[in-house]
Amino acid sequence: MMELAKKALEQAIATGAEQAEAFAQLNRSMRVKVYRQEVEELVSATGSGVGIRVISGGSVGYAYTSDLSAGGIEAAARAAAEAMSVTSADEFAGLPEPAAEFPRLDLYSERLGAVPVADKISLAMAVEKAALEHDSRIQQVEAATYSESDSSVAIANSLGFARNYAETSCFAFLQAIAAADGQMQTGVSFVTGREPGQLDAAAAGKEAARRALSLLGARQCASMSCPVVMDPFVTASVIGVVGSALTGEAVQKRRSMFAGRLGEQVAGGLVNLLDDGLHPEGLASAPFDGEGVPTRQTKLIESGVLQGFLYDTYSGRKEGRASTGNGARRSYRSQPHVGPTNLRLIGGGAAPAALLDGIDLGLHVMDVTGMHSGVNMVSGDFSVGATGRLIRNGNLSEPVREVTIAGNLLDMLGNIKEIGNDNRWVPFGGSVNAPSILIAPMTVSGK
Amino acid sequence: MLINGHLAEKALAAALERGGEFADLYAERRASMSLSLEDGKLEKIARGLDAGASIRVIRGRSISFVSTEKTDERSLIEAARLAGEAVRGGGSNIAPLAALAPASVHTIEVPPDSVAAGEKAKLLRAADRAARAMGPEVVQASIGFSDDISHIMIANSEGCLAQEERARVRLIARVVASREGVLQTGYDSIGALKGMELFAAGSAERLGASAAEKAITMLDSRPAPSGKMAVVMHRGFGGVLFHEACGHGLEADAVEKGASVFAGRVGERVASGLVTLIDDGSIANEWGSGSFDDEGVPTRRNILIEKGVLKGFMFDRLRARSAGAVPTGNGRRQSFRHPPIPRMTNTFILAGSAVADEIIAATEHGFFAKTLSGGQVEPATGDFVFGVSEGYLIENGKVSYPLRGATLIGNGLTAMKNVDMVAGDFEMNIGVCGKDGQGVPVGSGQGTLRILNMTVGGTEV
Repeated sequence: MMELAKKALEQAIATGAEQAEAFAQLNRSMRVKVYRQEVEELVSATGSGVGIRVISGGSVGYAYTSDLSAGGIEAAARAAAEAMSVTSADEFAGLPEPAAEFPRLDLYSERLGAVPVADKISLAMAVEKAALEHDSRIQQVEAATYSESDSSVAIANSLGFARNYAETSCFAFLQAIAAADGQMQTGVSFVTGREPGQLDAAAAGKEAARRALSLLGARQCASMSCPVVMDPFVTASVIGVVGSALTGEAVQKRRSMFAGRLGEQVAGGLVNLLDDGLHPEGLASAPFDGEGVPTRQTKLIESGVLQGFLYDTYSGRKEGRASTGNGARRSYRSQPHVGPTNLRLIGGGAAPAALLDGIDLGLHVMDVTGMHSGVNMVSGDFSVGATGRLIRNGNLSEPVREVTIAGNLLDMLGNIKEIGNDNRWVPFGGSVNAPSILIAPMTVSGK
Repeated sequence: MLINGHLAEKALAAALERGGEFADLYAERRASMSLSLEDGKLEKIARGLDAGASIRVIRGRSISFVSTEKTDERSLIEAARLAGEAVRGGGSNIAPLAALAPASVHTIEVPPDSVAAGEKAKLLRAADRAARAMGPEVVQASIGFSDDISHIMIANSEGCLAQEERARVRLIARVVASREGVLQTGYDSIGALKGMELFAAGSAERLGASAAEKAITMLDSRPAPSGKMAVVMHRGFGGVLFHEACGHGLEADAVEKGASVFAGRVGERVASGLVTLIDDGSIANEWGSGSFDDEGVPTRRNILIEKGVLKGFMFDRLRARSAGAVPTGNGRRQSFRHPPIPRMTNTFILAGSAVADEIIAATEHGFFAKTLSGGQVEPATGDFVFGVSEGYLIENGKVSYPLRGATLIGNGLTAMKNVDMVAGDFEMNIGVCGKDGQGVPVGSGQGTLRILNMTVGGTEV
């Protein structure tokens, strides 16, 4: 990969640009989906490409190609230069100065490639089987999946940066469908790791089954204002939205409810939120970000007080500060932009069951829908669909569906009264590690 | 041709040499460009080239799929063998390839890759100026443009050879308005399966102005109430609700597994008699159209629900094979890197005979949903949720003040049964639908219509 990055960098420099960067990537991925103990889908892909960024006089141009022939790379370099000639000049545009030191992370497992495909298929089957055997009301399992990726990244730029790394990751996922009395309910679960040996198939299967079963018979409840307990899956999706509002870019573009609140109490005193690009279990960990800046830990909220924002090189320069190593890049197809690595909401002391103590009537939320469309990032107003169970006299009671929970994200963070100790990694909508939380009060809309 | 016919036949034969009943090859070369303008500055321009191919082998209900970015003979045969290796047993012969004529034609007058970035930038600037001209409340405008032009080739072991050139262009505007510390956003977009001719004089300006108007209007909004009420869905945007709430449950993969509320109910009454739901990928130059789907099946007009009665489902080849049905032109994929699955194209409720103003006038107390911001559905249950970015209270048959923070929540079947008025002011809107990690362009539409007894989730109890 480094050879490819250097070759592309040469072509980029040859366009005459003041600064140039090449990001090369090779990814091998495999996914197997089983249904009723048969392979439904076996998908393998090999993808490689290079993204070229050129900068002159503050104007940036970007182009990528999957055509890695000499002609293909040259065409991409020319396309980047042409794009650069049209974009507006921006005094803050530019590449980061290469750092001297980088974290050493263990992100690669040889075992991922060594485990035979047949074993990976068995793993997906075991996930499905564990769910089906858990209870006869589990009618079927949708999308019992094992998925893996082995990827290497190399970045070279005209300031002398040239480094690469490789990483592996895998996960098993399923959605169990429980049926009784003409109603169907679904429950999901997943496990993640660097190699398949780290995945506990049975645990995932059983959890998805339990989640689906616990919702059987769900009905709409009455509208009310009440305490709400979110399980780690739900907390993680809330934290994902909070994280995207905590980027320097969101603040600078006035697309964040946190703009202008640095140093203020923006959440309950128990809230400690961190962006952690170094955590060994975090699937977004890497020695450097998408533009070659070393990753690190960044405190975002400490004891409820807003400590800082996340920056890439460009948004950092706008504030006269250094990048926090958050120049995110999904693949060679995209330019770096500010984004969280692994978000961690630090767990509290309470067992999840203890969060329910003392709640006469409340809602335990197990799933939210419409998180991406239901939040106004500017004002923080949100309204999302929810399913879960009522809490009665400190215990989980009848299941609930077709309700919404609504309010303002800042009010909600301020109303976090208790934090559970049941932290786990949730890989959807970013990499988030979150526990259960108690929020009081919130508005629940039903019938 | 992206891959010559002889090599395509060789690859298909290699894919089936160890068994399998069906194999296909999908090759694609896509050039794309995107521009974004923020705060009056042309911030980002990116160009991309994605080229490659994938081979799929079907045996029974199993598929094996391999994608590669190298399409030379050696790489392609290697990919085909790898795909064939995972599928054993069964067997099929290769029919010689014969080119299929398109059933619908979508002309491209001005290919997007023939227009320089500088020309495209003018559109963004025009939309930006028009948005800012709407009033001093407009504090920010972000305009985005994207285009792509792709050459697609599909060949399969049954002898089908389909080729198509598809161009899509899209312009979106997102505007933030502010007054006395209150911030609101407005959004609008236009797009089509055509070239730069979409942008006739004034269209970029209208787009910018429309997004700005929405943002300014919402500055006067009050918190939305909660509870059940009649909901009037404005023409165009409401279509996305039916896309989510019914459309996904009518895709054959959900149906096949019984993970759809519509499974096994063809011929039954599933909606109000006013509801005729159609999916049509053959509409000329519409955003979700194509001459063929991504499996080489000609697109066509499929009636899914007719006057409330369930007529049929949307099939790709794989699900049609196992259901003994005919593929309906709904096998779509995001790119050569993704296997095809049943997807909607342009999905809409057929225009009715009511008049939009009369629907409002007939509603004593209700919610007028003018712009939806997106939503989600659980196909197994039909439960859906939608954000409303522009909504109003209806009082005494009149549209009253704007409401913010509202969500529509309900069940697809219930909502469709509760449709009691449909107007003739039909409009189609564009979007990108995500499913199984694949995004594809889809259109959705309807005339203004009313749904009784729907739950509005607001912030006021």
